[in-house]
Amino acid sequence: MYSYLQLILSIVSILFNTATLTSPKNTGTLNAIVTYDKTHAKSTPIFLNKLHSNLILDPIVISDSASFMIPFSRAGNLIIIKAKVDTTEGSFILDTGAPYLILNMTYFRDYEATGESEDGQGGITGQAMATAPTKVSTLSFGPVKYYKLHADRINLGHIENSKGIKILGLLGLQLFKEFEMIIDYQKSVLFLHWIKKNEKSIPYHHPMLKDTSGYTTTPITIKEDKLLTYGFMGGKKLTFVIDTGAESNVMDSRLPNKIFENINITRRVILTGTGNKKLEALYGDMKNMKIGNRDMASLPVLVTNLEKLCFAANQCIDGMLGFDFLSLQKIGFNFVSRKMYIWK
Amino acid sequence: MNYLKNHIGKLYSISVLMIVSSFSSTAQSTQPIYSVKDGKMLIELSKHLNDAALDNFISTFDLADLDLKNFMKTNSTDSLRKLGWKLERNNRDLIVISKPLRGFDRFDNPADKIILTEKGATNSELFPAVSSSIKYGFNSFRKKHPFLEKDSLVTFFLRSNTGAKGVMLVGSFNDWNPAALAMKKADSGWIASVKLSPGKYWYKFIADGNWMIDNDNVRVENDGRGNDNSVFYKHNVVFRLSGFENAKKVFISGSFNNWQPRQLPMIKTATSWQLPVYLADGTHTYRFVVDGRWMTDPGNSSRLPNEFNDFNSVIRIGTSYKFQLNGYTNAKQVVLTSSFNNWRENELYMTKTGTGWELPYTLGPGNYEYRYRVDGKWITDPENPALVTGRAKQSNAYLIIGVNHTFRLKGFSDAKSVFIAGDFNNWTPNTYALKKEGDEWKLGVHLAPGKHTYKFIVDGKWIRDPANKLWEQNEFNTGNSVIWFERGR
Repeated sequence: MYSYLQLILSIVSILFNTATLTSPKNTGTLNAIVTYDKTHAKSTPIFLNKLHSNLILDPIVISDSASFMIPFSRAGNLIIIKAKVDTTEGSFILDTGAPYLILNMTYFRDYEATGESEDGQGGITGQAMATAPTKVSTLSFGPVKYYKLHADRINLGHIENSKGIKILGLLGLQLFKEFEMIIDYQKSVLFLHWIKKNEKSIPYHHPMLKDTSGYTTTPITIKEDKLLTYGFMGGKKLTFVIDTGAESNVMDSRLPNKIFENINITRRVILTGTGNKKLEALYGDMKNMKIGNRDMASLPVLVTNLEKLCFAANQCIDGMLGFDFLSLQKIGFNFVSRKMYIWK
Repeated sequence: MNYLKNHIGKLYSISVLMIVSSFSSTAQSTQPIYSVKDGKMLIELSKHLNDAALDNFISTFDLADLDLKNFMKTNSTDSLRKLGWKLERNNRDLIVISKPLRGFDRFDNPADKIILTEKGATNSELFPAVSSSIKYGFNSFRKKHPFLEKDSLVTFFLRSNTGAKGVMLVGSFNDWNPAALAMKKADSGWIASVKLSPGKYWYKFIADGNWMIDNDNVRVENDGRGNDNSVFYKHNVVFRLSGFENAKKVFISGSFNNWQPRQLPMIKTATSWQLPVYLADGTHTYRFVVDGRWMTDPGNSSRLPNEFNDFNSVIRIGTSYKFQLNGYTNAKQVVLTSSFNNWRENELYMTKTGTGWELPYTLGPGNYEYRYRVDGKWITDPENPALVTGRAKQSNAYLIIGVNHTFRLKGFSDAKSVFIAGDFNNWTPNTYALKKEGDEWKLGVHLAPGKHTYKFIVDGKWIRDPANKLWEQNEFNTGNSVIWFERGR
């Protein structure tokens, strides 16, 4: 608690300093400070909530080129990447639906807890999820290496039981925010390119993106560590989370009836969550959905109530695009220029 | 004012009419409809639906609990209301019922989200090398010879494709890792050797990045998600029938394929008929079917009686266990029945010795229950203290074959009893008793490859394994110990 106070105090003092510093004539160095502080000032209202997210430092890429491939294997329809946390090496799930590095408590129980367990204050964690934040010294996968990284620990035992393999953790969205990532499910390969600071002004394009007639480009945004894109159906704009950790696409059952006129319900299922909680849900086939400027002929969807997936600002998520969408063809994301590439 | 009233009345009646007409139009189609409206699930059922169509609807949507048939007959809504459904409409032609769709509290927890959105079988369920559900299998190739096998080393061969720059071999044996195993170019194709223990394996080739099945292999299976994979069985038995050169067709049939007579054709060689087969560990009975005539294996003296007052040939794979019953020397007949032979009562007759009865029997690894029948009367094995208790009528003794792990609990020297419960015994708290030896409690069990969770029960109190630092949270917030028993161990 003491350290939090200290942090707030130091931010406040920096803000005051910069305010006083900006009034006289700016010098080059002072300008740098000002811009630095502006970005922080902007995020101050949610700074405590986002404290951990901001602790993610730049990656170091050990490779001849900034572009590289990481082959993956699959557990069901999930992407499994070999990664190493400090001295522990094993399988991690690539989960763009998770905010950052999430570790399986079973194998990282001995790690020191940093700060109190969060109780719904932070990011995605929500009221019901007791997390145990910690810090790891290094995380590496392929040629990518992160130092001094914040991580949350939760119980991933149910996923292990279901997939039959040992899962050390989840690699979440923030770990890729300085990358372009192309997922080829057919070949089980991830193409990554680290977009260096000086490349940010010149948009980087992977060689696979040279032939612009081979794919379509759709905008994406990142909000509260959620990767979002938009779909259109019958004039209504729908907000989707893009989630490699979801095997099914999901549609919110509270959407207008007009939407459900395009969903043919085919099956009723009983979902079992952790703690053996059971809930009814429906599977169906959705027609007439447009993602970006692409018409989706037919998408299998899981229909359930997503009221718990709303943002704080009363904005809700209408659905999730998971493996059933992502694996239709090659798909790429530039997390810096905020673009999604869907191959034809 | 009056005008307004009338108007509202008119509007009201129009809207009622519209509802009625929309319902009756669906009724006319008579097809049941499952839809989502206003956040609720909605079922519209025509009363003129025939039984077959209603049955089909009930099974498609897994609605057996709703007891819709009874409701259609009696109009009693008890079964509907109990499950949270509300009757929206019920007239001569149509029933409409609805139920709100509730949300999961924890959809924003990545672990819950992964579990809730998953579907279908998992890799390990789909591709187990050894599984109780895989009892047997054999290979069938066309246009090329079966893969060369030398002891445990199998050389996979991809015919042609010699123009490819590189070919990888992927399969359940390397966890479908596309980078793990490069094939070598040979004269007429590509080869790669893999060490395999007997069992069933799934594989594909990747030629210059393109995944492909083995087109020369007849055995192809769909994984239920739209992917086809080639199948290879590493055999552990070769069935052989010498002579019968003039026979047209010879099949083998046995307990492993539920005695289907024409499923496993044998291959003719110069002097015999033969078939390499993968068989799971255990005792298997079989016969040959030569041009429709059933016969025991003349090259195998090992037999067991069958229900036709004849015999079946027997093949035993694995280690033998001797069942022994002391005493009962005046009995005329003692039969062993068990979960491993489907509780058959006319197969395993025990042999009388000077002091009792015995029967050697080969079992694959696993946990089995059994009991004896002495002159028609059922008894549990008096020598075996390991009993499955808590059953209403008959308690059985149990047996653990293929012990590959010993659970140990140090200390607790004053405890009266220590049991272990875990996923491997369905968490029954009173079946697997540990034995006290020196300063520790011990029990050997058979564990299948993969993850297992367990706890000890010391004098009725559930505790985690104090010597195992791996544990995960359970629904009681008390935690279960975790052990990974790796594949191929």
